Amino acid sequence: MGLSTAAAFAIIGVSILIVAEVILGDVVPLVADIQESYEDMRDRSIDKLQSDIDIIDTTTTTNGTGYDLNITIKNIGSTVIDLRYMDILIEGKKETFNHNSRYLYPEDETTLKIYNLTGSGNTRLKIITNLGISKYTTYTV
Amino acid sequence: MGFSVTGSHVVMFIASVIAAGAVSGVFIAITYNISGSLTERGDRLQEQLDTEFAIINDNERIPTNAGYYIFYIKNIGGNTLITTNQTFQILIDGDIISTSDYTFNPKKISPGEVSTLQISITLSSGDHVLKIIGPQAVEEKFIFTI
Repeated sequence: MGLSTAAAFAIIGVSILIVAEVILGDVVPLVADIQESYEDMRDRSIDKLQSDIDIIDTTTTTNGTGYDLNITIKNIGSTVIDLRYMDILIEGKKETFNHNSRYLYPEDETTLKIYNLTGSGNTRLKIITNLGISKYTTYTV
Repeated sequence: MGFSVTGSHVVMFIASVIAAGAVSGVFIAITYNISGSLTERGDRLQEQLDTEFAIINDNERIPTNAGYYIFYIKNIGGNTLITTNQTFQILIDGDIISTSDYTFNPKKISPGEVSTLQISITLSSGDHVLKIIGPQAVEEKFIFTI
């Protein structure tokens, strides 16, 4: 009777150890990964709230049959803006642009240049930052 | 008499070992199944947390190209986004668009990059609502006017 009880407890004890190993080996790293993803998402949300730009000025210069556009923007938020991932839409169409530096720091201004645009009259401009923050303006060609 | 006592002890021992083994086996099997399901669910949740995108078009100026309306999808999440008509579903004004009527280019965008979505559809003048459902049911709505 005593030996059979001990044997049963030993078998169940080993199975509990196996279960503990499975939990520690799979579930704990999973929780850590989810925690990390959640913190990344939270950081992105905070960056979005602290990110903003202002379109200071737009100037056009005639270029043959088209025109070139200079856009001066200012970082009025608290985060650094990566200009490589900025997008500019002219009349809704995405255009490529040139910029002098990669990063735009808070309270700094920079000029973005777009060449060989066509069109005339009142023109809508939309700028979108890397985090999806956007600003609209219109200019006249 | 002695053998019957010893015999019954042996039988009890064997029975208890078998019972403990069965209980342990079921216990371990259930734990493996639950662990596997938790891992899969956790991976999906992680992908959901890392997936975020925005439709960055000008609401009043939707460009067109050879009968296609063009929308720009920007990856504002933390991971690379696969942009194909298998991973994204499109609805306009509540009607689902057939997968043969829209394409993405490029088909993979890193954080900060933009994929161009071209939709073949005829839209009347006025306000419309575009809804895009991406991986792990992450969705975005965009109101625009033609």
